Amino acid sequence: MFNPQDIIDLLAANVRQTRNPFGVPASKFNTWWKDAGGFTRRPGDALLFTGLMYQAIPYIEATTRYLERLEGSSWAGYLRYSRFLPASLRGRGLAALTPAAGKKKFNGILHTICRLLKKSGAGFFYHPEMDFYSGILLYDLGDQDGFIKHAQFVAKTLKLHGVSKIITVDPHTTYALKELYPKYTGAIFEVQPYFSQLQFQAPAAGNGKPPVVLHDPCLYGRYLQLSEGPRRVLKNLNLEYVDVRNCGEFTSCCGGPAESVSPALNREILARRAGELKAAAAPVVTFCPICLANLLKAGLPVEDLASLVGRHMA
Amino acid sequence: MALVNPDFAAELKAYGVDTPLECFNCGTCAAICPLLFEHFPRKMIRYVQVGAKEKILQQAEDLWRCLHCGLCTQTCPRQANPGELILGLRRYVVAQARRA
Repeated sequence: MFNPQDIIDLLAANVRQTRNPFGVPASKFNTWWKDAGGFTRRPGDALLFTGLMYQAIPYIEATTRYLERLEGSSWAGYLRYSRFLPASLRGRGLAALTPAAGKKKFNGILHTICRLLKKSGAGFFYHPEMDFYSGILLYDLGDQDGFIKHAQFVAKTLKLHGVSKIITVDPHTTYALKELYPKYTGAIFEVQPYFSQLQFQAPAAGNGKPPVVLHDPCLYGRYLQLSEGPRRVLKNLNLEYVDVRNCGEFTSCCGGPAESVSPALNREILARRAGELKAAAAPVVTFCPICLANLLKAGLPVEDLASLVGRHMA
Repeated sequence: MALVNPDFAAELKAYGVDTPLECFNCGTCAAICPLLFEHFPRKMIRYVQVGAKEKILQQAEDLWRCLHCGLCTQTCPRQANPGELILGLRRYVVAQARRA
């Protein structure tokens, strides 16, 4: 396990300098929208707010590969000095270690979400200058001051742009905006996860494939109690699914939150959850980028809810 | 030997910890916690209740093992909110480290 304070200081320095935990400039980090067609903002439209989470996964994977080699070694202690490097330098190094194929894959999920929202007639727009990392990792790690300062900046920017309605794509950002921002910044937005906006005109026939097994992220299952949303989408499309015993409010953690301080602990928790899901002997579907990346690491056949629905609605 | 500070639970209110005295140490949280690690988080709650501040600071690294998965909070029969307590202790430890 790394010294948590070293990790917190490094992430906090990155968020302060680049507004994301990796120190990668937004222009390099958030590029998915360039291939997503244009967006027009109409009165009453909600802002599609990605929270940069899907974009972050290839960078998390690259960082974790590096941390896994370092954990427990005599070099681990040197991590604390990396915060003294300029964020731009740290970010450039990480960007160079991050494969382009991973970026394309996770950006593709955001393209699919966009397409599904358009198909459902949801009123939304996107603007990269209004899309920020929520700061959730700082909150989770206990850097309350760092989180509040960042959240105040994000909330103020959104309010300045007249944003009142937000569509989110992942549970971490949804939780931050729905529960933490009102509490810590006083800013209240109408926040809905994208799957609650998916309304397809006529129920399509099923895909004729065996059922998938669902993995509920902890934040949707317990904290926000939104597990029914994805199930409603699948039911409407006659796409079959099964649940494992530990699902919904009692879902098991995939181990993702441990990744930043202990990749070894992450592997241990992941192996247990992977075992529960494997017992269903079905392809896994989840609706959280952190869970998705983690379950892929366990070698499970797993895909995002948006990918499954997007393929069916193509 | 550990010094106890009866005001410690009150001191933690500033870090969002306001339910530790609700806990009657049944151990449901430790039983359901996916960490399966040395009576975590029950042990930490007990330390807060008796004000064993030094014990918490000595074992502070363990606080970051918590996955913040919420199972302990979901199943706590006393609504003592163990998950939030651990998060509050992290805030406390980070604040202490920055002050030092």
